[in-house]
Order: sequence, then structure tokens, then C-alpha cells
Amino acid sequence: MRLKGKVAVVTGAAQGIGRAIALGFGREGAKIVVADLQLDKAQNVAGELKASGAEAHAVDVNVASEASVKRLAEQTFDRFGRIDILVNDAGIYLRSSVANMTEEDWDRTININLGGNFLCSRAFIPAMRAQKSGRIISIASSIAYTGAKEFAHYAASKAAIIGFVKALAREVAPDGITVNAICPGSSNTDMPRRHRSEEDVMARLRATPLGHVLEPEDIVGPILFLASDPASYVTGQAYNINCGTVMI
Amino acid sequence: MTQVALITGGGNGIGRAVAQRMAIAGMAVAIADNDHAAAEQVRSEIVGKGGKADALAIDVRVASEVKAVVTEIATRFGRIDVLANVAGGSFYTKRIEEFSWLEWKEVIDINLKGTFLMCREVAPIMQRQKSGRILNTASNYALTGSALRTPYSAAKAGIIAFSKSLAQELAPDGILVNTVAPGPTDTPRVMGKESPEARRQRWAQIPLGRTGAPEDLAEMFYFLSTTESAWITGQTFHVNGGLVMP
Repeated sequence: MRLKGKVAVVTGAAQGIGRAIALGFGREGAKIVVADLQLDKAQNVAGELKASGAEAHAVDVNVASEASVKRLAEQTFDRFGRIDILVNDAGIYLRSSVANMTEEDWDRTININLGGNFLCSRAFIPAMRAQKSGRIISIASSIAYTGAKEFAHYAASKAAIIGFVKALAREVAPDGITVNAICPGSSNTDMPRRHRSEEDVMARLRATPLGHVLEPEDIVGPILFLASDPASYVTGQAYNINCGTVMI
Repeated sequence: MTQVALITGGGNGIGRAVAQRMAIAGMAVAIADNDHAAAEQVRSEIVGKGGKADALAIDVRVASEVKAVVTEIATRFGRIDVLANVAGGSFYTKRIEEFSWLEWKEVIDINLKGTFLMCREVAPIMQRQKSGRILNTASNYALTGSALRTPYSAAKAGIIAFSKSLAQELAPDGILVNTVAPGPTDTPRVMGKESPEARRQRWAQIPLGRTGAPEDLAEMFYFLSTTESAWITGQTFHVNGGLVMP
């Protein structure tokens, strides 16, 4: 139990990678705030965690809303009294060519994917500073490095997360807080299925040097590593988990 | 089945910590070092704690020695699951015009050629197993460069590109190849050269306010040898307290 007694907030935890992380943290003894815009699904994940013997609490949050993130922090402290690990996973994945991109789609992508990192980190850093410890882990994407046709806003937001993570890592290092990013390759979640056929999604997912379809669960080990004691000397890094598709 | 880890440079510093970490995890550890006495010392420490270890002398620059060591380990343990190429070092800090051709080749060969020779010898064994982890050691200097360490920086950058290429080559066989890039680490070799004042100044440059312990690096090597990193290949993992953020 590598996270026994630790309190973790995972945004975007209702499904996909965020859900896998929340369940993985539960197996390691953490108390988890399952934060998501979709409260009913978040409650399902919290229910799964509780059924497995973990402490969990579902909170509905819009990570692009200051007031909503403030409530998330309040509920976290009310319920569990502290914060040890923040995983910024909440994000959206819209498809549009730049030429046809609406300002609304641009703003939503940047405000949720990048702004959510800012608002959530800002909300929890004072408590981490006070206890002189904390781990912030942001989910970026290999698309931060490669770009992707018709996902320019998404690519920009994910690359920006890496820049934000490095800057924040420098800011909070004196207080014993580490900040890192994980860049998953495309993984087997609902996200890519919003824009492509099932056949196309699976063909793309299979086309990796290791010939393995990356599952949300495959991201959990690296996240656990960054969240636990053995990674105390790692900060400001973006680690790539992608079956060898992108080598930075 | 007991996993087998072969660690070059396992007698001292980071390599020693890697050997100890793998042994704690229950692996049989083969410690290969040009300093045979140091390798023997680490072996007896591990065995004293109930672990399984073997010590061997090696000059990683010499193909025949590499072949002999790998053959002996494969024979004795029956397999090689993890190869950690930690043997290396900068050895000299001086201006380029003062580097002799021999000194240049010494630094390139111990770091880069040694990594190549070890991988060449171990890869067929891992291919037969259809599994294996190769962990190479770079440095933050691979990205930033370092005045007075031209061959070392070149060799370490070379190791990163070599590792990516090998990762692509060996992926179909289920073999993962990754690189660990240490920042300044408290090894006897580094600390012996440094005044307390120089040390304090160096600490001030590092966001987390301290140099790394060999154990910090060993944890990364260990992580990259576990099932939790099963889908990571061709990547470089910097462990440097935030000194370099690529």
C-alpha cells in the first residue's frame, strides 16, 4: 500500500484514464476525491472504490470555473482534511480544422484543459505548501509533441500543460512539492471514438511499435510511481507512455 | 521464476544502488564492474542480506570481455531479464584542445561503445525469451552540454539516440529499451572532487534544493524494470531534482 492514508484528488475521474487512476489509488490505500463534471458517473466510481474498501467522495466540478474549483477544494478539506496528491486529468477533445474552428471551441479547450490545471493547482497549493509536501501530476498527451491534424487547440492545450508544469515545478520546489506531467499516447477510451469509427480507432490504437493497445490501466503504474515516495527527486518532467509511438 | 538483472558499473555509486534495489525486489543480481573488489563488496552485502548475487570483472570497452561475462551469467542464471548499463563517467574536465585522442576515445568508449557492446550481446538472449528490459544511463548533460566535458556530453547524447533506435528494433520481440538521465548525484566519485562551498553553490541551482542520492536513481531503474512500466519504450527519464526540464 504505497499511498496509505494519502488524500488524492483526481479530476476527470468519472471515466477513462482518470477513472483508472482513481481505482489504482484506491488499491494503494489512498482516500480519493472523484471529481468530474458528470456527477452520476463520478458517484459510480466512488461507489466502486467504496465497495473495494477504499474511502472515496464524488464531487461535481467544472475545472474551468473558479467558483466550482473552490467548492472542490472546500469539499476535499471538509471530507478528508488535507491534500497530498492532485491529478489534473479533466480535459476535452474536440475536432475541428483551424480554418473552421469557432472561438468557442478554442476557448473551451484551452480553459478546460489548460485553465483547469491552473485553477486546481492554485486551489490546492497553499495546503501543500503548509505541510511542505505534495504531488501534482498533470495528464498531457503525446500530441503535445507531434501535433494532430484537426486538433490544434487540443495539441496547444497539452503542450501548454507541459510548460505550465515546468514553471510550477520551479515555483513550488522549495516547499517540497513536485509537479510532473504524463504524456499518454492514444488509449482505448471513449475519447477517440467521438471523432472516428470503431474500426479506425482500433486500427490506430494497434499501430504501435509494441503492438499493444494502450489501456487506461496502463497509465496507472507510472502515475503511482510519480505519486509515491520513490519519485521524490523527480520534478518538472514529462514522461511518455505510448508503446513507443513517440520517442522524445 | 527468479528474475535476473545484470548491472554494469554495479560496484559503485548509482550502479551499486541499482544492484541493491533489484536485490531487495528479489532479483538475482549480476554485478559487473572494472573494479572487481567493489563488485565483490556489493555482492557480499547483497548475499549477507539473503539476496542472490554474483560479481564479475569487466571492461565494457572490450568485446571479448563483454561476451565472456554475458555468456557466463546466461549460463549460470539461465536468463537475463534486466540489463542496466550504468558503467560510465566523465573522467576528465578540461578544455577541448587539451583532450588527447586517446582520452577522447576512452570517454566515448566506456560510455557509448560499452552500452553498444553490452546491448549487442544481451539482445539475442532477450529475443529468445521474448522479453527483457534494457536500461541505459545518460545524463542531463546530454541535453544541456557541459563546458569541459565535451566527450562525455557527446557520448551521453549518443546513448539517448542509440536507445531510441534499439527500442524500435527490439519492440517486436517485446523488449523495452529506455534511458535514465541522472542529474548531479551524490556518488563518492563526484563528492570526492567537490569542496563544501562548491557543493552548497550547486545545491542552490537545483529546484528541489539537493543533489540526488544514488537511491533516487535506483528507484527509477527499478520502476522501469517492473510490470508497471510495461508499455514504455524509447523514452528518457530525467531524475535531477528539476535542474533540467527538457
